[in-house]
Amino acid sequence: MDGRRLLDKLFKATVVALSVAVLLPLFHIVGTIIYEGGRTLLEGGLGFLAGPPPLGIGPALAGSAVLVVLTTLLGVPVAFLTAVLAVEYPESLVGRAAKLLSKSFVEIPTILVGVLMYTLIVVPMGSFSALAGASALAVVILPYVYTYVEEALSSIPRTYREAAFSLGLTRAKALVHVFMGIARRGIATGILIGVAKAAGETAPLLFTIGGGTQTYFRGLGAPIDAVPLLIYQYVQMPSEAYHRTAWGAALVLTLLYLAVFVAVRRAVKEVKY
Amino acid sequence: MSIASLRRYLSLASSISRLVKPSLGGNGYAASSTYALQTVGLNVYYGGRKILDNVNLAVPRNTVFAIMGPSGSGKSTLLRVFNRLVELAPNARVEGRVLLFGRNIYDPSVDPMEVRRQVGMVFQNPNPFPHLSIYDNVALGPRLNGLARNGEELDRLVEWALRKAALWDEVRDRLHEPATRLSGGQQQRLCIARAIALKPRVLLMDEPTANLDPESSRRIEQLIVELRDDVTVVVVTHSPGQAARISDHVAFLFSGRIVEVGPTREVFTRPRSELTERFITGALG
Ligand SMILES: Nc1ncnc2c1ncn2[C@@H]1O[C@H](COP(=O)(O)OP(=O)(O)OP(=O)(O)O)[C@@H](O)[C@H]1O
Ligand SMILES: [Mg+2]
Repeated sequence: MDGRRLLDKLFKATVVALSVAVLLPLFHIVGTIIYEGGRTLLEGGLGFLAGPPPLGIGPALAGSAVLVVLTTLLGVPVAFLTAVLAVEYPESLVGRAAKLLSKSFVEIPTILVGVLMYTLIVVPMGSFSALAGASALAVVILPYVYTYVEEALSSIPRTYREAAFSLGLTRAKALVHVFMGIARRGIATGILIGVAKAAGETAPLLFTIGGGTQTYFRGLGAPIDAVPLLIYQYVQMPSEAYHRTAWGAALVLTLLYLAVFVAVRRAVKEVKY
Repeated sequence: MSIASLRRYLSLASSISRLVKPSLGGNGYAASSTYALQTVGLNVYYGGRKILDNVNLAVPRNTVFAIMGPSGSGKSTLLRVFNRLVELAPNARVEGRVLLFGRNIYDPSVDPMEVRRQVGMVFQNPNPFPHLSIYDNVALGPRLNGLARNGEELDRLVEWALRKAALWDEVRDRLHEPATRLSGGQQQRLCIARAIALKPRVLLMDEPTANLDPESSRRIEQLIVELRDDVTVVVVTHSPGQAARISDHVAFLFSGRIVEVGPTREVFTRPRSELTERFITGALG
């Protein structure tokens, strides 16, 4: 075997080894979640999904659903509008400000966002609340949704923009009927990333939602629990039963992610040029 | 220079013209009392750069007006002045007057959307909306501009536009397929249908055959000549041959200036400027 072929083989082997090294922990995590969580789920059944803690995650699951919906309602429209402003009026003051602000939001540690909402909402209202949690999550997802939507809208080829305007469409009509249609997959992905982050983030919830509730949804102004917060708290408990619940909750979160991703990616077809 | 090729352009041009509609008599301009478009002292700048320099043109109604010139001479810019699309570039500045049937479209009281409804456009690359069906590509403009009162009327309008664009027979059974499934030539005819569905008074075409095969190009050239009965067509081309084949009047643009403008026959037989002569004989760039 000559030197060049040997070098080539060596190179390939290195690439494969490095890829495995990177992917192995990921597979390990997913594998462990499926194994450990699967046991909890099979043993607990519906009681695990719907029942109260410490053996069930019903309130946390319901709380996460409420938080995700509320966060999406608060965060996605703001992120979307900001992205539209930045793409459609890039030279204007509003457009430039939108761009700058949204990007710098990524840099804020999420725990600080929680603390901010603590002082802005929890303290004045005198209670932890779903509203405070959703507000914190909305700020956290903002730059992610913004970035995806901005990227999706600004990568529309110029010729389609010209074609839309050449039909006498206003900016609003062109946006809704042409640009959003062409960029629909990127926009849907952006919203999904936002939803996934809202469902999975823990830090913004630490000082905002209270958590640990035995009861289901009691209103936007009342404390609420969430699956990631439950996991965070239960793994720190000294008893095995709590750990088992945390594993089960992790599996449920993972499965929900997958289901939503697959469903949306399938429903929203890519636009081919 | 090749006299033979010139003759070929001319005979083709006049035979197509005669086939469809008798060509304008006399000096050409006199056949139409008003102009569809007129520019008076038009200057266009991108940033500090002057792209169009004192352009004065008059496009008679219901004619095909060709703008020819080498790459970078400002043809596309000039075309985009006519529907105010040029304003999409944030650093563009337009000076002078552009009259659409006598009305200055750059007057502050004029709504650019209104101008664009009256002045349709077809682009250099076929660009049907990729997320819409064949039908919806044509129907979108009329629908959003309130041109049809109900679905039936819209159906009729779409069919009318597709027939005008000589595409109906090829797509009548597949109206709800994605527009991107059509061939390049069909896509370009779809774009023509999309533009004329708004029943514009002027149709702008920016090198509409530049990226098509010869057969598709021929069909579109024929279509342009036929469209003249319904709209005034302003067509940009870098090919003098195409200008000769399809236009009634032609302007030769060079470095942002009109070097020569007049009835196509005259410009091609007796060019007044040596530059024009070099361009139409292919001796230029
Ligand atoms: N948005 C813009 N900003 C700055 N300069 C521009 C812009 N658009 C066009 N130009 C410049 O204006 C000049 C004229 O461009 P234009 O597209 O009108 O030429 P053209 O005659 O259509 O050329 P072609 O035959 O290559 O299409 C070119 O030098 C071009 O670089
Ligand atoms: Mg051009």
